Amino acid sequence: MNQLSPPEGGYQSRIRASVIQLFRWCGAWAGSCALLAFGPKFLWNKALVFTLLAIGINVCVGIGTIVANKKYLEELDDLQRKVHLNSLAITVGVAMIVAVPYSVMDSYHVIPFHADVSHLVVLMCLTYGAANLYGTWRYR
Amino acid sequence: MKNRLKVLRAERDWTQAQLADALNVSRQTINAIETGKFDPSLPLAFRAARLFGLRIEEIFHDEDRLDHATEINP
Repeated sequence: MNQLSPPEGGYQSRIRASVIQLFRWCGAWAGSCALLAFGPKFLWNKALVFTLLAIGINVCVGIGTIVANKKYLEELDDLQRKVHLNSLAITVGVAMIVAVPYSVMDSYHVIPFHADVSHLVVLMCLTYGAANLYGTWRYR
Repeated sequence: MKNRLKVLRAERDWTQAQLADALNVSRQTINAIETGKFDPSLPLAFRAARLFGLRIEEIFHDEDRLDHATEINP
C-alpha cells in the first residue's frame, strides 16, 4: 500500500477552525442584537448615547460576522462551496418572492398581524438550512 | 465527465478519506466525484493528476468528446 502523507493543516482541521470562528462571531452578533433590542428599555432607560453605542457595536460585530462567513466559504472545497452557493441562491429567491406579497398582504390587512422583518429572517434561516441539508444529502 | 479516480485509488489501496486528506478536500467530495455526481474544478483535477503522477486526461474523460470520436471513427 502506498502511503499518503496529508498536507499540513488538513482540510477538516481548517474547516473546524473556520466553523468555530464563525460560531463565535454569530454568537457575538446575536448577543449584540439582544443588547440592542432589550438594552434601551431594561439597562440604560433609553439614554440616546448608550443606544447609539449599542447600534455601533451591533454594526461592527455584524461586519465581523460577514467577514468570518466569507472566510469560511473561501475555506470550503469545490463541492461544499457549490452546495452553499445553491443554498444561497434558493434563499435569496425565496426571500424576494415571499417578501413582496407578504408586505402587500400586511398593507391590505389580509393577515391579522403586522408583517415584521424578523419573520423574513426566520424564513431565510429555515430555507438556507433546508437547502443545505438537501444539497448535502444529494451529493452524499 | 467520467473518471478513473476510484480505480486509481483502489490500485493504491487508499481509502476515500486518505485521498480526500491528500487532495485537501472533504471525503464527500471524493465520493461525489467517483460516483459522477460532481465534476472537479481544474485546480483540483491538477492536484489529483499530480498526486497519481498522471496527466489529467488519463484520469478524467469528456463523455461528449468520446461520443463524438466514436461517431467519427466507428
